[in-house]
Amino acid sequence: MDWDFFVQQLVNGLTLGSVYALIALGYTMIYGILKLLNFAHGEVYMMGAFAGFGVLSIFGGAVGLTINALALIVLMLATAMLGSGLLGVAIERFAYRPLRNAPRIAPLISALGVSFFLQSSALLLFGADFRSYETYEYIDLASGIHWGPLNISVVRITVILTAVALMLGLTLLVGRTRLGKAMRATAFDREAAAMQGIDVDRVIVSTFFIGSALAGAAGVMVGLVFYKVYHLMGFIAGLKGFTAAVVGGIGSIPGAMLGGILIGLAEAFITGYVSSTFQDVFVFSILIVLLLVRPSGLLGKADIQKV
Amino acid sequence: MHGRKRNGAVAVALLAIASLVVAASAIARVDAPAATAAPSAGCDSPKIGFQGPITGDAAFIGKEQLGFAQYAIKKLGGGKIKLLQQDTQLDPAQATTTGTKLHADASVLAVVGPAGSQEVLAVAPIYKKGQRLPFISGSATRTSLTSGAIPNFFRVVPNDSVQAPTTAKYIRQILKAKEVFIVDDQTAYSRPLANGVQANLTAGGVKVTRNSVNQKVTDFSSLVSKIGDGVKVVYLPWQIAANGQIFGQQMKEQGKNAVIVGSDGMDSGDFKLPGSYVVAFAPDIRAIKGNEAFIKGYGKKFVSNFGPPTYVATQAAIAAIKKACADGNATRAEVQKQLHTTFIPKSILGGNFQFTAKGDVKGAKFYIFKLGSGGKKTLVG
Repeated sequence: MDWDFFVQQLVNGLTLGSVYALIALGYTMIYGILKLLNFAHGEVYMMGAFAGFGVLSIFGGAVGLTINALALIVLMLATAMLGSGLLGVAIERFAYRPLRNAPRIAPLISALGVSFFLQSSALLLFGADFRSYETYEYIDLASGIHWGPLNISVVRITVILTAVALMLGLTLLVGRTRLGKAMRATAFDREAAAMQGIDVDRVIVSTFFIGSALAGAAGVMVGLVFYKVYHLMGFIAGLKGFTAAVVGGIGSIPGAMLGGILIGLAEAFITGYVSSTFQDVFVFSILIVLLLVRPSGLLGKADIQKV
Repeated sequence: MHGRKRNGAVAVALLAIASLVVAASAIARVDAPAATAAPSAGCDSPKIGFQGPITGDAAFIGKEQLGFAQYAIKKLGGGKIKLLQQDTQLDPAQATTTGTKLHADASVLAVVGPAGSQEVLAVAPIYKKGQRLPFISGSATRTSLTSGAIPNFFRVVPNDSVQAPTTAKYIRQILKAKEVFIVDDQTAYSRPLANGVQANLTAGGVKVTRNSVNQKVTDFSSLVSKIGDGVKVVYLPWQIAANGQIFGQQMKEQGKNAVIVGSDGMDSGDFKLPGSYVVAFAPDIRAIKGNEAFIKGYGKKFVSNFGPPTYVATQAAIAAIKKACADGNATRAEVQKQLHTTFIPKSILGGNFQFTAKGDVKGAKFYIFKLGSGGKKTLVG
């Protein structure tokens, strides 16, 4: 067994999986509270990536950067998270709240409409040409951990650690704060939570803000590691994030994290050990089998209908 | 009772579907243009259509192609011939939509483009029907396009039956690689080219590892990890040069020392990894004596070798339209006939330019450039 190759693929998978996990968290949080699949979530991630690129441009671009690389990354993340969070709040306010008491299909269609609207808006604002973070111009990709044939660049280390920190932060927020308690109560039973005096609207807005902020952070991380940013990038990432949320158990926060990491690892190991040609076929086949065995997802709870 | 109701509902549904099908086919018959004799277009305002990836992943290429096409119209069009540009984003579906528009416009007598082989395959059925529209690509290299199946297709660049052995020979004899890693991007352009290079290398005793990755993927790190220590050359016959740049950077991250050789699709400013090689279907016109005035007249900076062939394609289309318009009227069939007689002495690509009977370029060859820092390219083969 070539352990170096195995560990390299593990790192590759964890990097990708961290990004998927951050996107999946947004899907699962919103579903948990509103039972709504927010198909516009992939586009929120895309906007976050563009926000990060905007910050890069403001500070001189990749080649003529005027600030320290670490400061740049912090600013990119902060801007993307704030921007995406506010975008998520606006989407909730104008596209979903008016339909809260409508049949479930209505907000779903609205979500699809918002998705197309955001894609077209990005096309209009930024054009169809892709933008590149060109991280290699301001961060030495050869720096990082080098242990024999094993190489982990400093960018990937940063992305993995940032994703872990964000996920830990979210876990603490949901488990240890008043807002987190209110979110859990609202997800459990919205009407009962309202009757207990919880401001359900505020909880929903906070959920959208946090979930969207995480997607924005994921957008910046993808830009840093894979460079390419364009108006259609949210579609595939959104699909993978949604899949991760379902595999982990839609509505379950730890499940979303687990689902994201699993999909990232599956893609890496299948490419590494089986075939890159049919990577998606194999990954989705495994997911189908998983869901056949456990339809509610790995950490999800089966819905019990009381009669 | 329930059974009868259900059967009734099914029967109604089937009847409704059948009615829709009949109605749709009736509408299609009404809308389909009746086959008529080719109408003559007035030669007062003839147009040349342009199809290229003006936006999207390959915008770098498309913009340079458009720039040179516009330059040809300005320089040679005589003020009468107009260019009608259409953006395909290197997407066959977009190429089909824009191709339908161009085909339907009777004033369009020829088309320059599309850029990609998969797009040519997509628009060919449209351009072949009714009043056949001749089209000249400045960059589609798939060999089978000029097999005779698309008689109204021409190209101003050599095809992959030349590119594959040229590339393989350089990798084997000059770069002296004993082990090569090939990754195709699952397109109609990339796969046959990769097959050709692989076959040539294998016949020459070189060990080849072959992989495939979707064009939409941006994370190649898992694939990069598979590049063994013995691999000296990574061959990427890709259309999206930016993906090649990502691949190269991820190779650098993982400490892989193999050199990248890219196909003509990678010959754009988006792929700029120093020490890499790109195969180009046209020479660098800046290095050809006699082109100084031309380049000065163009006035804009250009990086890839994609633009100048499109100039020659447009030049050929203009010449054919002018000859066909000699009697005041021209049909697309006349323009196509004139294209076969194209002769451009001392073209900007070097030497005289002529088409073969099948629409290829007589005597064309591929060139190999080595990339230096700052985007500098040096001709090495």
